[in-house]
Amino acid sequence: MADDPYSVLGVAKTASATDITKAYRKLAKKLHPDLNPGDKVAEEKFKKVTAAYDIVGDEAKRARYDRGEIDASGQEKPQQRYYREYAGGEDGARYRSAAGFEDIGEFSDLFGDLFGRGGAAGARGGARFSMRGQDAQYRLEVDFLDAVKGTKTRITLPDGETLDVTIPAGVTDGQVLRLKGKGHPGLGEGEPGDALVEISVRPHPVFKREGDDIIVEVPITFDEAVLGGKVEVPTIGGRVFATIPVGSNTGQTLRLKGRGIKSKSGTGDQLVKLNVVMPERIDDELKDFAETWRKSHAYDPRRKLKEQA
Amino acid sequence: MLSERDIIARVQHLTVTRLRVWVKQGWIKPVDEAAQAFSEADAARAVLICNLEDQLGFAEEDVPVLLSLIDQIHGLRSELMGVLAALEDLPPDVRATVRMRIESRRGGGR
Repeated sequence: MADDPYSVLGVAKTASATDITKAYRKLAKKLHPDLNPGDKVAEEKFKKVTAAYDIVGDEAKRARYDRGEIDASGQEKPQQRYYREYAGGEDGARYRSAAGFEDIGEFSDLFGDLFGRGGAAGARGGARFSMRGQDAQYRLEVDFLDAVKGTKTRITLPDGETLDVTIPAGVTDGQVLRLKGKGHPGLGEGEPGDALVEISVRPHPVFKREGDDIIVEVPITFDEAVLGGKVEVPTIGGRVFATIPVGSNTGQTLRLKGRGIKSKSGTGDQLVKLNVVMPERIDDELKDFAETWRKSHAYDPRRKLKEQA
Repeated sequence: MLSERDIIARVQHLTVTRLRVWVKQGWIKPVDEAAQAFSEADAARAVLICNLEDQLGFAEEDVPVLLSLIDQIHGLRSELMGVLAALEDLPPDVRATVRMRIESRRGGGR
């Protein structure tokens, strides 16, 4: 037994025809199955709402219902087939829009080009019956510098065959490269699958990576820290001289512009983290100097510490 | 396949004028353009447009906005289904990894 059409629409029995239509439209806009693909609950509610409106939205039927001549489920309409039942199938492919994918290429270098091609072309549908080969999965360990600069390498597969892999510059640990058609062969006329190569990058003793930036910790001497000067610093492109400003400190970072990783998204920088290292042995000369200096130049680097904690 | 006549007979509230305007606007694309032949999907889409305009009271200029959004959703859904189907083919441990990564990207909350 269907619910009372007035309560389904949330209107009073005395509501005007306009109010009933308004109430119905408000609900129907929220619940219409084509505006809620995949939502079964909304569909059920929509059916109820529509059935209710079929009765009380029609003056003659409403009068009969009010007189008790027909009940709330009296006017079951032949089932309507909604557009969404076709929209996902082969027949609906013409209408499916790829406009939602235009930015996915920026989002994923590897998969961006995969999406949105089926929509407009309408070449889907039969796809599930094709006998495309399975994708094959491999893991490949690469040196840090190879990952940074890109390289070509060759994998030998278990069956003795080899696979040439181009490692793009700036590849990250865990990234998966897709080699089209290099997976297991397809059956019949099916295309071969793809090879999926998961890259794992070996850590480097000196270089660390943060996005496209390279981070290197460089020890400097006490006198270099005080006087400044040029020190030789390793970069992924070879050694360069970096200028240490006068009065440098441990933890201070110098930025070498453009010395980071060149990837599709741009070129990173190298960040040089300075680490002031005292001489291994403190001789008398240094001791004497420190004592004299302290007398006339006392300073308190812990002032903030005391203020805050 | 449905002729212009068939589809008009099939879809309540559809008239020749309406149908031709919709085809001209590109809201409905006949399966076979040359023969102006329509498919079941076209008929269902015509029902949808009638629904939007007549039952739900959307203005004519709102319809292309709604259709575009609906078409985008179905495009996205179709690709999502494809991705899910492709994931189904992967070994269980890889699927578990993918699941984990998706969850961690969501930040663990819903």
